Amino acid sequence: MSNKLIELKDLTKNFDDQQVLRGINLDIYENEFLTLLGPSGCGKTTTLRIIAGFEEPSSGEVLFNGIEISKLPPYKREINTVFQKYALFPHLNVADNIAFGLNLKKVDKSVIAQKVERMLKMVGLEGFEKRDVTLLSGGQQQRVAIARALVNEPKVLLLDEPLGALDAKIRKQMQFELKKIQQEVGITFIYVTHDQEEALTMSDTVVVMNNGEIQQIGSPIDIYNEPENRFVANFIGESNIIEGVMVKDFLVEFDGFRFECVDKGFEEMEEIEVVLRPEDLDIVAPEDAKLTGVVQNTTFKGVHYEILVKTDLRIYKVQTTDYAEPGRKVGLSFEPEDVHVMYKMGAY
Amino acid sequence: MKKKSFFSRFYVVLCLAFFYLPILVTMIFSFNSSKSLTRMTGVSLRWYSELINNVEVARAVYVSLSIAILATVISTVLGTITAIGLSSHRKIVKDIVLNVNNIPILNPEIVTAIGLMLLFSSAGFRKGYLTMLLAHIAFCTPYVITSVYPKVRSLDPNLANAAMDLGATPFEALTKVIVPMIKEGVFAGALLAFTMSFDDFVISYFVTGNGVKNISIVVYNMTKRINPTINALSTIVIVVIIVVLVSVNVFLPKLEKRTDHIHPRVRRGVTIFLVAALCLGLIRCGSISSQNHVLKVYNAGEYIDLSLLDKFQEEYNCTVVYETFESNEMMYTKLASGESYDVLIPSDYMIERLIKEDYLQPLDWDLIPNASGLMEEVMDKSYDPGNKYSCPYFWGSVGILYDRNIVDQADLSEGWELLKDPKYKGDLYMYDSERDSFMIALKALGYSMNTVNEDEIREAYEWLVEQRDTMDPIYAGDDIMDNMISGNKAIAVVYSGDASYTISENPDMDYFTPNQGTNIWYDAMVMTRDCSETDLAHAFINFMIDPESAIANTEEIGYTSTVKSAYDAMLDGTYAEISSYLVDDSDPRNEIFGYQDPKIKQKYAELWTKVKAQ
Repeated sequence: MSNKLIELKDLTKNFDDQQVLRGINLDIYENEFLTLLGPSGCGKTTTLRIIAGFEEPSSGEVLFNGIEISKLPPYKREINTVFQKYALFPHLNVADNIAFGLNLKKVDKSVIAQKVERMLKMVGLEGFEKRDVTLLSGGQQQRVAIARALVNEPKVLLLDEPLGALDAKIRKQMQFELKKIQQEVGITFIYVTHDQEEALTMSDTVVVMNNGEIQQIGSPIDIYNEPENRFVANFIGESNIIEGVMVKDFLVEFDGFRFECVDKGFEEMEEIEVVLRPEDLDIVAPEDAKLTGVVQNTTFKGVHYEILVKTDLRIYKVQTTDYAEPGRKVGLSFEPEDVHVMYKMGAY
Repeated sequence: MKKKSFFSRFYVVLCLAFFYLPILVTMIFSFNSSKSLTRMTGVSLRWYSELINNVEVARAVYVSLSIAILATVISTVLGTITAIGLSSHRKIVKDIVLNVNNIPILNPEIVTAIGLMLLFSSAGFRKGYLTMLLAHIAFCTPYVITSVYPKVRSLDPNLANAAMDLGATPFEALTKVIVPMIKEGVFAGALLAFTMSFDDFVISYFVTGNGVKNISIVVYNMTKRINPTINALSTIVIVVIIVVLVSVNVFLPKLEKRTDHIHPRVRRGVTIFLVAALCLGLIRCGSISSQNHVLKVYNAGEYIDLSLLDKFQEEYNCTVVYETFESNEMMYTKLASGESYDVLIPSDYMIERLIKEDYLQPLDWDLIPNASGLMEEVMDKSYDPGNKYSCPYFWGSVGILYDRNIVDQADLSEGWELLKDPKYKGDLYMYDSERDSFMIALKALGYSMNTVNEDEIREAYEWLVEQRDTMDPIYAGDDIMDNMISGNKAIAVVYSGDASYTISENPDMDYFTPNQGTNIWYDAMVMTRDCSETDLAHAFINFMIDPESAIANTEEIGYTSTVKSAYDAMLDGTYAEISSYLVDDSDPRNEIFGYQDPKIKQKYAELWTKVKAQ
């Protein structure tokens, strides 16, 4: 990645006596597709609104190309936003909505017309110039909103859960298109969502947030495979999370057994938590495994079965293409690299 | 389509008739050729031409319109901004402000009116155009907020953010996004504000001063001598409203679609028009104060020949600010609220009260040379012995107006008992005034009309109750005159001056003062204690009793002059045939109303209410 474009330094934000951001530090790079991911109320939208200029941080700095901008009003920032419910101007038609920013800048009419046309082409709405925006479908309104923001050629595009109001199929398609548009225009996208799949699909970088704090920053693969704590593991995909102890580097103990792993750098005998992804677990014969249990429930999920295996201490969730009938005694096996060791929540 | 039943149609027609018949009647009678409001005698445009020539009405139309436009513009801007600002506040703030905002709407207008009046008085505001405008803005703004706020609330809160995000300053966001989206609410609010302002009476009446009157106030003052000029004015207003309504309904939907394409020049034109209206209004505020000498006169409504005022102003190179009141009590209230006047023209008993309460200053009779022409009969009365404070203006009696074709001459000897004569059951008007009604009963019973004896008062009350039960009279006010002119009833209790006017319009009527004695009353000009233009005030009083002015005045109004030469001239001329012009005060049983102790006044008021509450 190239240069740092935006730096958030120790941002906090209080609404009345409620602290919604508790010290956010984040670097955002040029051309990056960065996603703020987290459950509602985690502070991701507030962070976005601070970057856009709709909120002022209670403390901390927002640097844009190295210049502090946290007190700069939104209309002076080279940043544009796509809003959650699009916030199109219902009294203007499609072309006038897109041209809104250019009209304010008193750009020449013919230039505006050209740019609007190009934008409509990019978002696949050629010929929609004169349409009434209130009569467009959700997906079409979304495209107009994106065009309206991008036509101003911002350095950064902020997207606040832009696909939240769309149905599943169009959402999938729009995810793909958004990623394509981002690559085409080559600017930074900061994307807010609570949908982990969306985040993993589109992003270069995922920032997982909870309770006003950043939980983990990393590529989608890192976030998925190496969740740093129980929250991230739980939020990203389904997980079996087991409390355990790090005996030493590459050796972890949980459920009464010691297992090899690929993690290191913990203190000896440190209390940790282990993530075992359901798809990493295999059903084997009981004698081939350390962990054994009884199949409690088997559900057909299409590509795979979801099997709940009850051991002495807990119930493991397993996703496998092999069928195992309930009541059968089975063993659970996994590879060392499937064991993800995380810091225990609240340990730091 | 399902066929509507006869009854549902009938019901709709009934409703419409109920709403529109009064308006229709008003419009029809505006074309009447005679003065009557109830009897159509012919078709003419007489009242329209009178209306056009009526300077007072023209001024009032200007005041009403300019105030309505200014108040609408200002309150719409204020209210819209408030509503928008409010929407981004916390819920508790919103709730409080919206509830506070509802108070002026729900508040009885009279309370708002008195509140504003007291506020302006205590703040030392010069009452007039500016105070009226401020009051109108004050009571219009809540309506604008109420109609704009729901529109604002239904907006996506991100719209303003979106505009700013795209480079709009907050002001551009307001004008280019927010306002266009709530324009229906703003328009509705503006329309509401305009109608509220244009037809306001109560608040305007209390907060205005210095002769600034809107249409409602002028009409209200006209009602004593009601004539179809009012109908003509009302008709014009109705037509204007219909035209506006129709054009709004026909053109607005078309405009809606194209509002963004209105040519900038048109918009600029509208802006210039509004600014011009504002400037005109402000100029109007200052116009009166530019004169050097201003005399403020406060008189009863329809109680002067207005051309005399113009003449006086010309002769003395001054401005007369002329205001009118509906009753002595109303005048007293205004005076007590701190309103300042130079010359008042109240009635005898009120003058007595004003002297007692130190509202007046003595007259310098050396400055009123025309006093020598005053009739001896009107001087040195009990309300102001030696005429230290007051110069008589008009005088008269209270008596009975009757239809000569119906009432037998022989019955007149019954005096006040004529009002109890079963022959005329259901055919008479009583004057809806407690003092006058009790005067009748007390006189009929042979007591003093100023009695404080509770037994006598009780007896008079019983007389009135009995009269009510046996005669079925109608208790009415100023509409008596018009009804008598139309000959709707045979008998009415009236003031002699009103009788003269009625008889001159309907020669079938005649007037007599009952032989048991009656109220002889005097209205006189007095000078207030805080009058600063004393020379001008004396000049005005002197001018009004100048024989020439007095003749013009009495001829126009029909009340009996206090100036000997005018009185004689009328008896020989215009009012020779009219018995009521002559005031016979020789009967020793005649009396003047004296100052009433508040307790006694209360007693009378309570009993009178019981008489009327059948």
